[in-house]
Amino acid sequence: MIDWQYSESIESSDILSIKKKYSNYIGGKFVEPKSKKYINSISPSTEEVLSKVPLSNKQDINSAVNSAREGLEVWSKLTPNQRSRYLFKIARLIQERSREFAVLESLDGGKPIRESRDFDLPQVAANFFYFAGWADKLDLSWATKSLKPYGVVGQIIPWNFPLLMLAWKIAPALATGNTVVLKPAETTPLTALLFAEICEQAGLPSGVVNIVTGDGSTGSLIVNHKDINKIAFTGSTQVGKLIQKSLAGRDVGLTLELGGKAANIVYEDAAIDQAVEGVVNGIFFNQGHVCCAGSRLLLQESIHDQFVKKLEKRMQSLRVGNPLDKNTDIGAINSKEQLDKITSLVNEGVEDGGELFQTQCELPGNGFWFRPTLFTNVQPSYSIAREEIFGPVLTTLTFRTPEEAVEIANNTEYGLSAGVWTEKGSKILWTADRLEAGVVWANTFNKFDPSSPFGGYKESGFGREGGRHGLLSYLKASS
Amino acid sequence: MIDIKKTYKNYVDGKYVRSESGKTYTKELKNEFYELPLTSKKDIRDAVTSSKDGFMKWSSTTPYLRMQILYRLSEMIEGNKESYVELLMDHGLTKQKAIKDIDESIQNIVWFAGLADKWEQMAGNLNPVSEEYFNISHQNPIGVVFSLSGSNISLNDLLMSILPSITVGCSVISYSEENSVLALKFAEDINNSDFPSGSLNILSGKFENVLDDVSKHVEINLVALHKELDNDGLKAIEQNASESVKRVISQPSLEGLSSILPYLETKTVWHPKGT
Repeated sequence: MIDWQYSESIESSDILSIKKKYSNYIGGKFVEPKSKKYINSISPSTEEVLSKVPLSNKQDINSAVNSAREGLEVWSKLTPNQRSRYLFKIARLIQERSREFAVLESLDGGKPIRESRDFDLPQVAANFFYFAGWADKLDLSWATKSLKPYGVVGQIIPWNFPLLMLAWKIAPALATGNTVVLKPAETTPLTALLFAEICEQAGLPSGVVNIVTGDGSTGSLIVNHKDINKIAFTGSTQVGKLIQKSLAGRDVGLTLELGGKAANIVYEDAAIDQAVEGVVNGIFFNQGHVCCAGSRLLLQESIHDQFVKKLEKRMQSLRVGNPLDKNTDIGAINSKEQLDKITSLVNEGVEDGGELFQTQCELPGNGFWFRPTLFTNVQPSYSIAREEIFGPVLTTLTFRTPEEAVEIANNTEYGLSAGVWTEKGSKILWTADRLEAGVVWANTFNKFDPSSPFGGYKESGFGREGGRHGLLSYLKASS
Repeated sequence: MIDIKKTYKNYVDGKYVRSESGKTYTKELKNEFYELPLTSKKDIRDAVTSSKDGFMKWSSTTPYLRMQILYRLSEMIEGNKESYVELLMDHGLTKQKAIKDIDESIQNIVWFAGLADKWEQMAGNLNPVSEEYFNISHQNPIGVVFSLSGSNISLNDLLMSILPSITVGCSVISYSEENSVLALKFAEDINNSDFPSGSLNILSGKFENVLDDVSKHVEINLVALHKELDNDGLKAIEQNASESVKRVISQPSLEGLSSILPYLETKTVWHPKGT
């Protein structure tokens, strides 16, 4: 037997100079909050305070929205080609500074550097490149004459892919001729503020992009601002519903990208080893902090025991630890609050009667961590089979026939994504047709591309991000 | 006692049914009275049950068949043109306006009939992802649509509140207030057509009576308002809708491809390429 010695490989954070205190980015300038209040942003892997950022109040939001309104005057008078070129330039600048962004993303959010470096950042640049090319082709995008930008768009994004969610929001909004007020998540504001520097570097006209930080109260001020034309929100279904309710009776556009509880269906005729890899990637990618995570594993009865055995073995090889270590597979849970939520749902799963498997690994002393977890022997009525856990926790259910698989998969109020594993082409198409999900990954999982629309059915929200369809989220059809 | 020229019933699940409440209201047209059902909460629930079933049937027919069923409808309206013109004139329209309305109605049915087997080619596409994957975005109809028709006395307006969603495979509960006599006459043509039962249910009544039931019903996937409501009404609908992230559209665009977009859910499917 070979005794493998582990050697860590830490990405240096010397490239970064994190300021002790940040300001909002409004009207092309970094301005201190009128609230004079700040919140700390900590590193979830060490609990060390990285910096503090404004807790913006009503006056701050007013000034950001006013600035976006002024920015719209300028932005709408540029030619589509000029708008396109600004977006190309932003994309290029992100590529140039991508290492800096990747390190900061992992420090502030806790995700493994391997993911922020190889997934988040390349995707961020790709989104700006993709939408840059649409800015001067909107007239060719949809066979209709009645599409116009909304105007000033308020965008509220989550903490799981901080900079990528910013890119998903800002790139299409600007390409379609809108201006934005964006609020990053309370726990992960730093890369958005670094992005503000990119806007400066690119010479983007002032007011086109405004970035304000804060907590839920700040988000609510944006939603309820009277001069906002559209809200785009990514986050929990619970908050999405509140936003939809707040906008009732107001002439404000809305797109929502909310929660999920995706079924990952493995048929008995799947390529089992590939499926095991796909299932692992489906739930443990980004600590399971993924709205489209394949959190419900649906196994055909005949392969259950064999599959679970292989899965447990594979899970045991996942490395949990320092996000800046290039070997790390699973980083830190984003916040104490989220860790408590995961812990409480997992405890509930055990009490309900689920059979728990957790990998044996050492966890760092400081920071927020959770072991990769698998539940078997689960009934569909258990909370762990119904509620979005948003952590590295996989729940297994079984089925006998394809019809039953589809029924279980669709038996949820969510409808964001789903996975299908089989070597039989006709079964993939049959299943995909019947799944109520905005994205279906067949013999793969958690693949993303700026050209590929993303978004949900049912209570997973409405509207799409990415692709030609993503343009429609920022264009208003006038009657 | 007033003399009723004709008693109309709701059209639900391919049958003419009285409101379970037994309640009716009357509408006077040219000194003659029509009796119309006053739809209740229970009637809405029955219509939704039928529409769910109708959605399964209608959305699983081939686009080719949907196209022919829609085209056949235009032939039926054409065949009954005189009776529609007469009814519109009873509502006070001039003969010229009534004829124009029916002509436009027929044109629009033909336009949408021809779209039934083409919209997927216009609204979906292959996505050029940067890895070795086949990636396609195509659409599913959103499901059960509740459509409140406008207050104009116009068959064409009524049709434009139904055609975009039904063309893409949704089932529709069409609800009329001012337009009820016309809508329930139209139900007779639907009954004689090949639309599967439940794919189009036609109800009449006072919308405010069922506003809460419609907007809170979790099995209605989308509420389309083709009538301008006061702000309180719209606000109540949208607040109720938020409880289940229900889609609500108010005075939607009826132009070209954008007319059908609200009724579609985009589904993107990925598959690796390889040997």
